[in-house]
Amino acid sequence: MKVSVMDYGVGNLHSIAKGLERAGATVEVVSDPALLLGSESIVFPGVGAFGAAMDILRPILPELNKHIVDGTPTMGVCLGMQILFERSEESPGVGLSAFRGEVKKLKSRRIPQMGWNDVVPEADPLFEGVPRGAQFYFANSYVCHPEEDVAVAKTEYGESFPSAVRKGALCGVQFHPEKSGPPGLRLLANFLRIAEESK
Amino acid sequence: MPLTKRIIPCLDVRDGTVVKGVCFKNLQSVGDPPTLAVAYQEQGADEIVFLDVKATVAGAATLRSAVKKTAENLFIPLTVGGGTRSFEDVRETLKAGADKVSVNTAAVENPEMITECADAFGSQCVVVAIDAKRDNDSWEVYTYSGTRPTGRDAVEWAKEVCDRGAGEILLTSMDADGTKAGYDIELTRTIVRATNVPVIASGGCGTIEHIVEVLTRGEADAALAASIFHYGQHTVADVKEALRAKGVPVRESVAE
Repeated sequence: MKVSVMDYGVGNLHSIAKGLERAGATVEVVSDPALLLGSESIVFPGVGAFGAAMDILRPILPELNKHIVDGTPTMGVCLGMQILFERSEESPGVGLSAFRGEVKKLKSRRIPQMGWNDVVPEADPLFEGVPRGAQFYFANSYVCHPEEDVAVAKTEYGESFPSAVRKGALCGVQFHPEKSGPPGLRLLANFLRIAEESK
Repeated sequence: MPLTKRIIPCLDVRDGTVVKGVCFKNLQSVGDPPTLAVAYQEQGADEIVFLDVKATVAGAATLRSAVKKTAENLFIPLTVGGGTRSFEDVRETLKAGADKVSVNTAAVENPEMITECADAFGSQCVVVAIDAKRDNDSWEVYTYSGTRPTGRDAVEWAKEVCDRGAGEILLTSMDADGTKAGYDIELTRTIVRATNVPVIASGGCGTIEHIVEVLTRGEADAALAASIFHYGQHTVADVKEALRAKGVPVRESVAE
């Protein structure tokens, strides 16, 4: 599976690229968003801010939205998950709107949520083979509030929020699988399998 | 279960090798960064901190190459600090494979840099390191690896860096650092209570009990330690077992 990883020009793409490669993907880091339009599958990594990321994607927004909702396997990680929604309290402007709902600031005194937290999954292919009780690494101040039934895992931090969402081969995770040791690598491999099977 | 408390082995790196000294002096070599980082990851470390203790402008490229090698086989977060002078330095360090960048002297001298970095890269990757030294009833911030007093109050500075967008504070007690007599509990708790971002306590760890203490009485979110791990005195797994026994939430290590 060839995965195009979007480079917003800020932050570390090394970890996500390496994690996907270890899970068996061929990774191409893409800094021109137009190149996402012909891609076999897409990963939106989790660094930066909502507004800055969307500024880069905005010129091709309608085409990119169509490419994703037409079934191109896509995974958003952390911020990458958030931009798959319609809007965010973090910045004005629309998101990719592949999931219905919005992104809101966490209701907790100490933010960002920074560290390893429990993820309670439903029986879902994204979590296949992930040991029960496995924890994942989070570094986020905002969380997604879907307005459709797409949550496949929940986490508590001041409030309960969906830490993973999935609709076919379109997935989002609020944690960083690439920074979450073996359970995270397993989850990336599961995404690749889901992507293969959706072809 | 709430967010788990993090155990963070620290690699103090000088000329490409991990060193350990007492009170920022008398440094001894203990190994190379990539090997130690992976060993700690396997022991169940929640994160790795890599600090360049003799950062120079000329050494920046060397440092980035060491960071890159260290990041190569890590699937846990990596924080890098030391010699980060500018916004561009932060960007380059992130590009080299760091997940977070810790800024100390540059943040004191140019506090706007904290906000610039938080806006561009997100607060979650901006760590402000504070080196604090007791001065009667308060603590003073020091810069340049603990050599230069700034006249700033550590508690006020900690609040300010939060307001400016820092996502985390790496708090080192200069009085405790290298003594192995325990973390400065009072300093740690004071900073934790004054701020609203996670606080990593550093300086003074000599026993597992010290870690338990700073994460409970000290109220820290994470504990950083170097020598107790470097000399094979204890593993990260030993520390977690002790914490679990005291009812402190820690991450379960899951085998591949």
